[in-house]
Formats: sequence, structure tokens, C-alpha cells
Amino acid sequence: MEKKELHTTAELAMLELTQAEAERFGNAVSQILEYFDTMAAVDVENLEPTTHALAKENRLREDKPDIVEETLLDQHSRCFDLKDALLEQAPEVVDRFIIIPKVL
Amino acid sequence: MKDNTAFWTDIFSDPAKKERYIRYVNDWEEKIHSFLEFDPDRTLPFSTGKGELSGIPFAVKDNIAVESFHLTCGSRILENLRSPYTATAVKRLQLAGAVVVGKTNLDEFGMGSSNENSAFGPANNPWNVDLVPGGSSGGSAAAVAAGLVPFALGSDTGGSVRQPAAFCGIYGLKPTYGYVSRYGLVAYASSLEIIGVLAKEVSVMKRVFTCMRGMDPWDHSTVVPDESLDHSTVAPAGIREISPINATALRIGVLNEPMGLEPRVESGYKTSMEMVKQLGHSLVEVELPTLEYVVPAYYTIATAEASANLARYNGIRYGKRSETASNPEELVRATRSAGFGDEVKLRVLLGTYVLRSGFQDQYYVRAQKIRTAIRRDFDRIFSSVDVLLMPVYPTAAFSHGSDEMDPFQQKVADKFTGTANLAGVPAVSFPVSVESGVPVGMQLLAPMFGEEILFTLTSQLETLFSSPDCPGYSQDWG
Repeated sequence: MEKKELHTTAELAMLELTQAEAERFGNAVSQILEYFDTMAAVDVENLEPTTHALAKENRLREDKPDIVEETLLDQHSRCFDLKDALLEQAPEVVDRFIIIPKVL
Repeated sequence: MKDNTAFWTDIFSDPAKKERYIRYVNDWEEKIHSFLEFDPDRTLPFSTGKGELSGIPFAVKDNIAVESFHLTCGSRILENLRSPYTATAVKRLQLAGAVVVGKTNLDEFGMGSSNENSAFGPANNPWNVDLVPGGSSGGSAAAVAAGLVPFALGSDTGGSVRQPAAFCGIYGLKPTYGYVSRYGLVAYASSLEIIGVLAKEVSVMKRVFTCMRGMDPWDHSTVVPDESLDHSTVAPAGIREISPINATALRIGVLNEPMGLEPRVESGYKTSMEMVKQLGHSLVEVELPTLEYVVPAYYTIATAEASANLARYNGIRYGKRSETASNPEELVRATRSAGFGDEVKLRVLLGTYVLRSGFQDQYYVRAQKIRTAIRRDFDRIFSSVDVLLMPVYPTAAFSHGSDEMDPFQQKVADKFTGTANLAGVPAVSFPVSVESGVPVGMQLLAPMFGEEILFTLTSQLETLFSSPDCPGYSQDWG
């Protein structure tokens, strides 16, 4: 794979590559892509792509966090209000805002 | 059927026994590093303590959420993440009375076949610590083989339950795609992966699977074979027994073509054929022409899905954030570049590339069409045989840092296991022999929802050869 291609791909993947990494990954990616190219030999004419081995349709549910709660066993109901627990995981919080470096 | 679970059930009620248990685990852990976190008491309040799996301890691969434990996925980027909730599969086992005692080591985000891609150091094979335990559920396999837990959960995206089970001489089940909820399983390749069971006895594997399978409103890709299992709670799907089917004179499909197997595995394959014949079943030669395209199709799909699934790790809402960035974009790049290991970066790069505009038809769409061809191969095979007997991996457990099994060769070697994930069918790996101190395993594949036949046949095989005890395995501490 050409250096330029690798760097464009890394850019899209939000990864920074050191020079040594670019060397290493460039070779590894090329080796695997070459292997992927063996798929060209397969006749895929008239074959539909498989995205899920079994599902036939999309299943929808109401966009409501408590939809399942009432069907749970009482004594072991899950905590569906995870808002606080999730906020606790944030690296930096002030009040209920997650802090990131300045955008502008 | 062998069933040794009674040995475990008083471990939480007998403090002296628990102390001896912890000592046994700690002694082993110095050698095998199968756990990333171990604390037998921590989740006791989350277990009902009564039910089908009453009081039985188990371990969970650290890419499956268990409230109160970390959820590192073997990655620096999630090193400090504590899970605020529990995966449905685990929850169902807790409702059935089982108790999570810890989180097991793995290749980062499930990407690997040796457990050497763990950011927290590799796990070792309890048969010989110079060997890898396999991967990516290497810690789960090592913990079960060493007798630290009677069973463990893993995830199988391209063989990550079956291959380490084979490397460590135990049983490993990859269920039908969608039969077990993925809610709480950290996503790597969503269309391929499923939570599976590693155990030293077939009966335990079957009981665990029976408790954790079923529909889940929180995972819209779950499927069940019949409506009686179509419930919408997280309660176990019904302890409704999977009835042992009348499995006499089955037709067992076998492959008769050069498969590049090392001698121990080649002879193990022959041994397994002799075993099924001895049980009164017949061998039928079948052809699987798509086998040589399994790995390129599998890695195209897996890396493409991984690049999308791992896009969420940006250091903003959770995980380990880079401290040096001066703007948000720099923050994301610096966090990902410092937080991901080499194998993860490689797969994210590959996946990003095959999904780039202009390349999609050549790679991703073509791979999905090949996936259809593989499914058709299986449809044809299962119209003439009941199950398919195949190797799990071309080698037995290899050495840490092995030159012959470099990361590329490890990928090429996934061809036997990756088939089941691409086709969505269930498969179970089982031990067949120990060759010069290293266990060898084979696998059986069945049609969709064919778990019953797999349990029945593996329990028949267990009467001829059961999971061998590794040196140092003991229950004398009990």
C-alpha cells in the first residue's frame, strides 16, 4: 500500500502513526489486502450479500428507556436510570457537563 | 453424564473452603494470569443463590459487562472503565443462582488467537506456561482448565471460544448466531459474534447455555427456534430441558482434502473419526469448496465492522483520555493512538480501508456475497449429514512469540472456526487426545439451532474421552 493511501486511511480512522508504525502497518496491511484479493476468484454473480445469518426484518421498540422495566423480576430489576452512573465514567465533569478542550 | 458441580456449591457458605479456594486460585494465577480481576464476594448480592446453577462460581471474559467489575476489554483505552450494568447473558446466570468471581484475560477487544494481544500481559496455558492458551478467550479457557472455575463465558467472533478451549483441553460452545443476547458484550464484529461457554464437562456447558439463551428486548438481533422461548424478560429462558435427542446412527460429515494440519492435529482428526464410528455413527465425506475463502471474507467483514464499532472510543465520555491535546480532534487522535494496541490499530486501518468509497464492492460487498456462498455450502452439506466434524485449528497450542505462528499466520489459521461464524451455525469444540503433553481438540458443527445434537454427541464422545486434567489440576483443596 502506498504511503499516501495509508496516511489517508489513518486520518479517516482518527489514528496518528509514528514513522515506525507507518512502516510496520504499511507492510502488514499490504500483506492482508493481497490475501483479500484472492476473493476476486469467486464467482459472486447472482449472490445476495448476507448481513445477518437469520434475521428477516428489523425489530423496533418504543424509544423509551423504561419499556422493559415492568417485565423484569421485581427483586432483581435492573437499574435503567444509568445517567449518573454513566456520567461518573467521564474523565472530567463540571456540574453535569463533560469537559473537553476548547473547540474554538 | 459427568457433572461435578456439587463440588462447588458450598464455596460461598463455607468460609474455610472459600479461603482454600482463593489460595488455590492465587497459586495458579502466578503462573497463568488468567484473571484480570478476581473477587469472589463482590457480586454475591447480584445472584439469587438459588436455581439451576445455585451457588456455582463462574468467570466472565473482560469484554462482557458485569456490574461492579471493570470492563477493560484487555485495552489501555478502557483501563479505568467500571461497568454500571450487567450483560443479559450474565444476568440470566445470576438469576439462575450462579456467581461471577472475576473477569478473565483476553486479546484486546477479542482481536487475536493467542491472548498475547492483551494490554495487561498475556495469559499462559496451564498445560505448559511456555505455550499460549489460545485466544481471544484465553483467560477463560486457562481458568477452566486449571480448575479455577467450573465454567466461564467467552465470546466467539471467529473461533475465540473454540480455539482456546481446544488449546487447553476443555469444551467450548459457540451457539447459533442470535440465540444468546449480545447486550453487554462489547461490540467487535456485530454480525459474527456471540457469547459462548467454556467448561470441563458437557453437562455444565449445556446447563449454562440453557439458562442464558433466549430473546432479549435489549438485543434486537436475538432469535429463538420456537415461540415458547420468545419471552420478553431477562429471566432465564426457561429451564425447559433441551431433550437429548435419539442420537443413534448419525451421519457425520468429514472433510477429505489436504488441510495443512500439523501431525498432532492430523492424528487427532483421525482419532475423532474412530471415536464417532465406535459410537455407531457413520462417516460421510463432504466437500466444502468455500473453505479457502473463509479467512479473507471473515477478516474483511470483521475488520470493517470493527472500524465502525471502535469509532466510539474517543476519550470524551469514558475511558482513558490523552492529557496533552489542545483541541477536541487532537484529543480523539491522541487518545486512540495511545490507547489502542498494534493489532487493534491494524484491524481498524484495514476495516477503514475496505469501507472507503471506491473499495466497498471490491472488498466488503464481495465478502458478504461469499458469506452467502458459504451458507449455501452448509445448506447442501446439512441436507446429507447431521453434523460436520472438522479440526478447530491447524496446530495445537503454540509457543509464546512463535515465529511460525506470526500474526498473519494466526489469521490464516482461523479458517476452520470462521466458517461457523460466517454461516451463523452452532459449533462445539471437544478434546480428543493429549499428544506429548499438549491437548488436541476437534469441533462439531450443526445446522441452525442444532445445539441439542451437539450436546448429545459430545456427551457420547465424553464417555470415550473426557476433558483431561492438566498437571497441577486439583480439587483436593475442597
